[in-house]
Amino acid sequence: MGVMSAVAPTERYRAISPAEFFYKYREIAGFSNPARALYQAVREFVENALDATDSHGILPNIKIIIEKADENREFYRVTVEDNGIGLPPHVVPEAFGRVLFSSKYILRQTRGMFGLGAKVAILYGQMTTGRPVEVITSQPNLRRIYYFKLRIDINKNEPIIIERGSWRKNRDWHGTIVSMTLEGDWSRAKQRIKDYILRTAVVTPYANIVFMTPDGEIYYYERVIDKLPRPPKEVKPHPYGVDLELMKRIRDRSSFSTVKEMLMKSFQGIGNITASSLLEIAGINPDLSPKSLSDKQLLELVNAMKNYKRFRAPTSEALSPLGEEVIKAGLKRIYEPEFVEAVTRKPSAYQGHPFIVEVGIAFGGKVPLSSDKYPTLLRYANKIPLLYDEGSDVSTAVVKEDISWDQYLVRLPAPIIVLVHLCSTKVPFKGVGKESIADVKEIRNEIKLAIQEVARRLRVYLSRKLKEEEKKKKVVSLAKYVPEVVRALTIILGDGQGEEAKLLEEKLVEIVSLRTGLPRDEVYKVVKSVEIGV
Amino acid sequence: MAISSVDKYARQRSLEILRKKFASIAKRILEGKKPVLIMPKRVLSNTIYDMKKKLLLLGPEMKRRSLLDVNEARKFMQTLLMASIIYEALVNDEYPTIRDLYYRGKHTISYRDISGKLHHENTWDEQRESDAVIRDIEVFLGVLREEMLILSKEKGKVVGNLIIKSGDDVIDLSKMGHGAYAIEPTPDLIEFKDIDAEFVLVVEKDAVFQQLHRYGFWKKYKAILITSAGQPDRATRRFVRRLSEELKLPIYILTDADPYGWYIYSVFKIGSITLSYESERLATSNAKFIGVSMTDIFGEEEVAKNINKLASIFGKEIKKIISKHGKKAYLSEKERRNYIIKAKKKDVERAVELVGYDVADKLISNPEIKKYIRQKKLGVSGYPWFRTPEWIKEISIFFSKLAKLEIEAMASKGLKFLADTYIPAKIETGDWID
Ligand SMILES: Nc1ncnc2c1ncn2[C@@H]1O[C@H](COP(=O)(O)OP(=O)(O)O)[C@@H](O)[C@H]1O
Ligand SMILES: [Mg+2]
Repeated sequence: MGVMSAVAPTERYRAISPAEFFYKYREIAGFSNPARALYQAVREFVENALDATDSHGILPNIKIIIEKADENREFYRVTVEDNGIGLPPHVVPEAFGRVLFSSKYILRQTRGMFGLGAKVAILYGQMTTGRPVEVITSQPNLRRIYYFKLRIDINKNEPIIIERGSWRKNRDWHGTIVSMTLEGDWSRAKQRIKDYILRTAVVTPYANIVFMTPDGEIYYYERVIDKLPRPPKEVKPHPYGVDLELMKRIRDRSSFSTVKEMLMKSFQGIGNITASSLLEIAGINPDLSPKSLSDKQLLELVNAMKNYKRFRAPTSEALSPLGEEVIKAGLKRIYEPEFVEAVTRKPSAYQGHPFIVEVGIAFGGKVPLSSDKYPTLLRYANKIPLLYDEGSDVSTAVVKEDISWDQYLVRLPAPIIVLVHLCSTKVPFKGVGKESIADVKEIRNEIKLAIQEVARRLRVYLSRKLKEEEKKKKVVSLAKYVPEVVRALTIILGDGQGEEAKLLEEKLVEIVSLRTGLPRDEVYKVVKSVEIGV
Repeated sequence: MAISSVDKYARQRSLEILRKKFASIAKRILEGKKPVLIMPKRVLSNTIYDMKKKLLLLGPEMKRRSLLDVNEARKFMQTLLMASIIYEALVNDEYPTIRDLYYRGKHTISYRDISGKLHHENTWDEQRESDAVIRDIEVFLGVLREEMLILSKEKGKVVGNLIIKSGDDVIDLSKMGHGAYAIEPTPDLIEFKDIDAEFVLVVEKDAVFQQLHRYGFWKKYKAILITSAGQPDRATRRFVRRLSEELKLPIYILTDADPYGWYIYSVFKIGSITLSYESERLATSNAKFIGVSMTDIFGEEEVAKNINKLASIFGKEIKKIISKHGKKAYLSEKERRNYIIKAKKKDVERAVELVGYDVADKLISNPEIKKYIRQKKLGVSGYPWFRTPEWIKEISIFFSKLAKLEIEAMASKGLKFLADTYIPAKIETGDWID
């Protein structure tokens, strides 16, 4: 656009604020229509609530309320309450009133990461209903609870505080309650929102989640496990993932006295020796001040880092996998399956980004029947459920193309769910929708290995079950004739009375049970179920 | 109706055996042992052709039918069910037919599987099933169904100068008008009172029987005329056997010239595979096949043409089957063309079962049939009682001509021809197969 403007002298120029930008292009953030907006708003607040709890070692209690907020118009009030770490009061206006303000711009796995979500929802609400957002929050070490009523100044990208207040805590409460009103379309968003909360509940068995709908329904997912996933640690970037922009930022912000020190302190896996050889390759004097480096020199450095072969693999400490126990507990809580197993793979990396793949499989119980093409898939990226674009997701490709389910004794359609969780400091999403993961070779391979590992255990279970069923079938095919045989024998023996008959029946049940190895009462159950008609 | 003493005795004996056999099964069960029925196997592989007696007999192989074997459990139940029904009929002085037994025992067993789903199953579905169970009980007990006073549909018919007593009635079989006496299911209870006949003619086809009857064949030639109306039932076979054994009458069998006709003859003479346990009582070992034979239709030319092929299988000895003067056909070339029918694939298959694949393969020249038979019947060895020179001769003609003929055709050449020329000539000249 800038280039074009040179030939268009009548063009008027002005910069727009980030708030204005996202206000105009809200579709990018998922707020394209009332139904989508309602769904997206719920997501943003729920994800903030979970980030404020499980990432900080707190067992989450989360309450989601959607209620009709106007008699005549389709206004909905969305309230999300958590028991998380809360916000310091002075940060609240910025956190909820300035687009691109966030505590998550660090290398650590969180759900949110752009400082966008809450604000776009609030902007959308403000634009469609004119009503402000309300925030109540307190931190664990604070003695007061703070209250704010805010609006966003779109032109300035600044919060406008309409009302604020605070009161003393008389019980040990911490957390945040966010409440906002927007124009929505509950009847069209209903299914998506319920799906989203259900799928969130699958991977958060350590959370109590209450969800109240405008229709007066209440969904309650009760905590079933007290174990939290390992919280993510903040880490320095890995040299493989570096680019010129990141390098410039480090240079501009750094207070290091030498380039060498800058390298050693800003990246993981760069020690004294590695730093020296990198700088030698780039032809840069290690003692130079970082600020004196030209862009050209920085580029040399980036190239040297990119081509260096001997870095250690990136650390996975920034990642927070759910863990096998949590996945199993989650699948059990929702589906009460007869078989459930999970695996968390060892950390791996693609293009300098660490990632971990986890897979859980649930079979039987209340697990719904899958399609006849592949098992029902539950996809997650950094603990966030992915609901759309299943067809183009790498996991879909794996379950369809890389795994032959027959081999694992799964005859589709079957009551089977495959849960795939990818966590990474950089999830390779496909497109802007962020609903599907791209087919990255390393990731695809890990997903395949993980599914195979769990599916092998499923096969063991199914083959045992199959054998057991064969046995039972066999018993039925014998036991069903016992009453007729007894009846015939007693006629011939001339004892129509019960005595002989009862004895014969008991003995036959015993013989069948002994020969087949199935418990007597199971055999007896079949015998008792028999009715001889005429 | 007064129950005859023969009857009463049979009942008592059957009841005793039944009780004893099944009591031992109950005892086994109460001792915690596997409930099994041990009985002779009623299958082709356990059917022995006794060359000396010329009888098909039940072999020594036994089968164990166990309630604990998934494949046998249903049969086990059916056997016990049938035994109990027969038992009740015996006790109540009844005479059930095999169809009655089928209905009395047919009911549903409903049961629930492990998942609680309700299923229904019939004790048996078709009469074929319950009939097989009755045969099993016969071999299991060593008691024939007639001895258990089980009846079946009457099929065989007889007329002739013979006076019998059945029940309390004396019946003159020469006074049946256009009808005939239906051979009762318990032919052993018939008493022969008086006879004026020189031979017995058994015809396969009921229609031919009626024609010969109306023609007065039996009066004219002093014959007892019988029809089995297709495959002979047990009663007809037993009746024929008694005529042969007790009245010393020669027995001549007249069937279609096709594999089914030949097999019917063999059933009369040596017994059947399904009822081999009854052969000693049912088979008439001196029954003779008087026709219609293939040589009656084609003469011996055809055999002469193929004699070397046969010799390559059976050795030079076989060449003796051609008579010195060479037998002439009863039909002219033209009649033959009118009366013979092209053999169907099924007929050819059946013929291979009788005489063996090697003979068929050597003699069939039609490439399509030859190929078909190769696919279906390669390696079939044939029944020993059909691999005799006379039958090889007959069937070799069938294979090379792939033609058959029904007796009706002989009758349509003129009933007179059949009754006054063909049959008497065959008997007089001894032109039969024994
Ligand atoms: N429920 C909450 N509890 C604690 N902090 C919160 C909560 N919601 C939002 N925040 C803070 O506000 C910031 C901005 O939130 P948001 O606009 O959703 O962006 P993002 O989640 O991408 O960082 C977050 O980074 C977080 O520090
Ligand atoms: Mg957020």
